[in-house]
This record gives sequence, structure tokens and C-alpha cells, in this order.
Amino acid sequence: MKANTKISREKRKQKLKRYLGAWILLLPAVIVLYLMIWRPSFMGIVWSFFKMKGYTPTEFVGLDNYIQVITNSDFGRVMWNTVQYVFWSFLIGFLPPLLLAFMLNEIVHFRTTLRTAIYLPAILPGVSILLLWYFIYFPNETGMLNMLLAKFGVDPYVWLNDSRFTIIFIVIEMTWQGFAATMFLYYASIQGIDTTLYEAATLDGANPFQRFIHVALPQMSGLVVLNVVRQMIGVFQVLQQPMVMTGGGPNGASTSVGYQMYQYGFVQGRVGQALALGTIVFAILIVATCFYFYLNKKVEENQ
Amino acid sequence: MKRFSGKQPGILNQIDLKSFKGKLLYWIFFGVLVIAALCTVLPAVWMVLSAFKSTQEMYSSAAFLPKEFSPSYAWERITVAWKDLALGRSMINTFIVSLGNVVASVFVCGLAGFILSKFRVPGTKLIFVMVVWTMMMPAIIRTVPTYMSYISFPFVIDDKLSIGTNYNILDTYWPIWLTAGANSFEIILFKNNFDAIPTSLVESAKLDGCSNFKIFYKIMLPIAMPVVVYVAIGALSVAWSDYFTPYLVLKDAAKMTTPARLFMLKDSSAASIPTNVYMMGLIFASIPSLLIFCLFQKHIVGGISLGAVKG
Repeated sequence: MKANTKISREKRKQKLKRYLGAWILLLPAVIVLYLMIWRPSFMGIVWSFFKMKGYTPTEFVGLDNYIQVITNSDFGRVMWNTVQYVFWSFLIGFLPPLLLAFMLNEIVHFRTTLRTAIYLPAILPGVSILLLWYFIYFPNETGMLNMLLAKFGVDPYVWLNDSRFTIIFIVIEMTWQGFAATMFLYYASIQGIDTTLYEAATLDGANPFQRFIHVALPQMSGLVVLNVVRQMIGVFQVLQQPMVMTGGGPNGASTSVGYQMYQYGFVQGRVGQALALGTIVFAILIVATCFYFYLNKKVEENQ
Repeated sequence: MKRFSGKQPGILNQIDLKSFKGKLLYWIFFGVLVIAALCTVLPAVWMVLSAFKSTQEMYSSAAFLPKEFSPSYAWERITVAWKDLALGRSMINTFIVSLGNVVASVFVCGLAGFILSKFRVPGTKLIFVMVVWTMMMPAIIRTVPTYMSYISFPFVIDDKLSIGTNYNILDTYWPIWLTAGANSFEIILFKNNFDAIPTSLVESAKLDGCSNFKIFYKIMLPIAMPVVVYVAIGALSVAWSDYFTPYLVLKDAAKMTTPARLFMLKDSSAASIPTNVYMMGLIFASIPSLLIFCLFQKHIVGGISLGAVKG
């Protein structure tokens, strides 16, 4: 009896030691995630109900910050702009990576050369690309696009300063910057498709278009849908493009929610309102994220 | 020119390529890809050509090619830009930042991935679920709250949870390194790859008296080298491409990283820094990333499929 408890105590001690040894190595990640992600995300919501003095929360003021954010005349336009970013980036950015990935898989001539050339935007650092495009769209003849126009005898165009199309031009830059990474994600998946499936379809009399629709696409659809939803969530948070290329202008035409939050929090000293706007964005995106996980589950079930 | 004989069956196959319609489709695909490649390469070529123009030329002529192009003249353009932009200091800073990023990513995320993969210990399951959710947490909403905590790190003043001393870590590299360590995506990437390593290997090493950290360092990391390299490259590249965090947290110009410095120079560029010099700056800033790519091309291409992480 005594020996028995001694053994079990010894066992317990050993077990605890094993647990401790694991927890200690997990601890750095937990601490860093807590300090950099979990806590700021949570406290951002809590502090959005506080009055701010500089960057210090002072007193609880209820919904004051929210009322100020929503009644601000810019609020509606900023939200609408953000929706436009998401819409155009879907419209412009959805097909090119998918179709190009398939085409790259089909060709045999200069495949490596083309692959490397198309991958270039994914190699260049983000900051260089943003600043480069700022100069590509430059409204006088030092800009690349105006140089091209001049070759055809067309007068310089103002590009980003044309408030009707600013967001579309920014989305074109985003597509240029991001499509290569997406394309190669798809490309890797296409190469994993069993080629005997194509042959079987050919024997059944399917033409190339039918092979694309009925053989290749179904294998990819899960990955593509998930990727598109993830990208839309990402684009909703767009900040760096307007910050570098337009400063939110002209006249606020390209100000996204993210950039507005940056303005509130770091330029205009309206920290409480930045937090309130952040919480509103969070509420919207959490719905989108739940939808993403729901899709993810569906896709996994189908595989 | 290569014949079609090397063609694997795909949407198009050998039989299709014998007909006119199939050949036409093939060459349409090829043409579209060439156009796409031109679209990606042209801006970069324009950047290089503009960088080698003289300032006067940049503003007066709309020609793509620089008028003069000799090695000595090109070298002059390079040295002038290097002196005007004063990027040297910032490049050393970026190098230091990038090394810290690598250590943070590989050790913090790697260790977490190791524990989550190989230890069935109470609590790890909960942590794993939280990490998966963290991956989808919108990053943008954290910018202001994290900035608040940098001023009095780790806990904001007047915060009821505040204990002990708080430090102002603005103007240090800690915010950048901590951000690199707090990467749930990389934790899951490590976990998924460690899952493929047999647990018996860990068990037998443990019987030989290896400590957990030693198992991680001597066994797991070397076996999972492709993913380690992939994560390390990512951590290096972030330092050379992200201007936003350094721009926010570093106020001292002597501590600036290259991307942040280039961004700050933009506003003054209209007044004092001519576009051609600026373009040379963009090339300088791109060289480290291009070098990383050339050196580790195999790992990056192999890593693309690694990147397809699911929770």
C-alpha cells in the first residue's frame, strides 16, 4: 500500500516534470502572442470606450468615441471606399493568377524564363514596389505611363489625381504586387493534379475547354475560394497603398478604413476614435472570418 | 526551338497540338504569358533606366533610354545617389533588424510548433486552437493598441493590470522583433512539418537523456531544414520590405531601416531629391531581397507549396 502510493507519487512527479518541460518551451510563443496579438486585440475594444489623453486611457465615456466616429461626415465615404477596394480587387485580381497559372502549366517553350519574369514582383521588396508605382503614375512626363502616352502623342494624364479612378489605379498596383504569389500557389496545386485524369477525359471525348471546366477546376475550387475570401479580408484592411501613393487623396477619394484609422491614431491625435473605428472593423471582419472557417471546413469535408 | 514532344498531358494534350485549333490555343496561351511577363518586367526595367539618367534628362526628355551609358558614367550615378540618399547607416540597421527577426521567428515559432506537434500535454490543444484563430485576426486593428503598449511596455499605464516597471520601447528594435516572433502562421507551418517527423525519434532521443531544447535544436531543426530556411527567408525579407512598423516606432533617424528611410525621403523628394536619384535608392533597397532570392531560389520555389497552410 505504502509502496504503491510512493510509486504513484513518483509517477505524478515525473508527469509534472514532463508537462513543465513542454510548457517552458511553449511559453515564449504564448507570451509574445499574448503581448502582441491577443491582449492588444482585446484591450483595443476595451479602450475604445475610454477617453484618451495622448496614448493613455483616462476615464470611461461609454459610446462617445463611437458616436464621434459614426457622425463624422467622412465615415460613410471611407466605408464605401473600402468596399470599392474589395470589389475592384476581386474583379481585377481574381482571374489573372488563376488563368496564368493554368497557361504556365500548359506551355513548354521558355517556361523557366517566363516563370522567373512573372515572379519578379514577388521578389522585389514591398516598399520599393509602392514607391516605384508612385512614380509610374506620376502626373507629369517623368512618370512611366505618361512617358508611354507621350510616345503616342497623347497629353499627360493625372492618373492617381483623377478622383473617379484613383481606387482602380491603386488596385491595379495591388494586383501587380500580389498576383505572382497567388499564381504560384495555384500553380503548385495544378502540378499536383493527376495527369491520367486529363487522359481519361480525352478518351471520353472532352475538348480542352471541357477538360479545364470539368477536370482541372473542380480540383482547385477549394483552394481558390479560400484564397479569394482570405484576400478580400486582407484588402478590407488596405493601408499602405493609399498611405504611400496618394496620402488618401485626392480629397479623400482613396481613404480606406485602415488609412483613416492611421490618421486618427497617429496624425490627428484622435486615439479613442481610432480604437472605436478599429473595433467596428473588427466586428465586420470577424463575421467574414467565421465565414472563412465555415468554408474551410466545407472544403476539407469534400476532399 | 523545343518541340511539343516534352508536353505533359494537361488541358491541352499531344493530340490537340496536332490540329490547327490546338496549336492556335497553345500559342495564345504563350502570347498571354509573354504579355504578363512584359507587364511585370517593364516597370522594373524603367526603374533601372531612370536611375541611370542625369537629373536634367529625367525632367526634360521623355525617352526611355538614358542618353549616355558608359561604365564610368554609370558608376558616377551610383556614387552620387549613394551620397545623396545616405542609405549606408540604414542598411546596417536593417541587417541587424533582419537577423533579430530570423532568431525570433525560428526559435519562438519553431519551439512552439515543436511542442504543439510532439507533446500531448494538457493545455497545448487549447493553445493550438487559439493560434489557428490568431492567424485570421485582422492585423490592422492592433496598430494603435500595440503602439500604446510600446510606450509603457509591457502594460499600459493606468491599466488595472499594470504590475512592476514599464519601459518605453519606442526607438528600439524590440517592437519589430516581437512582431516577427508573434507569427501564428509560422507556428502552424512548423507544427505541420514537425508532424511528419516520427515521434519515436523524439522518444528515443529522450531516453538517451536529451533535453527537449536539445532535441529541437539537434534533431528537429536539421530534419525540417527546408521549412526553417523558408521561415528565415520570410523573416529576412520582411525587414527589407516593410516600412510601416519601423516608420511608426523609430523616431531617431540614426536607427531607421532602409524601407522606412526611403518612405520618409519621398515627401522631401519633390523638393530636393530628384526622381532619378530616388530610383537608384529603390534599386539599392531591392538588392538585398534580390540577393536573398538568388541564393535561396530552390528553397523559395519549394516553399510555395509549404506556404499553402491550412489550420
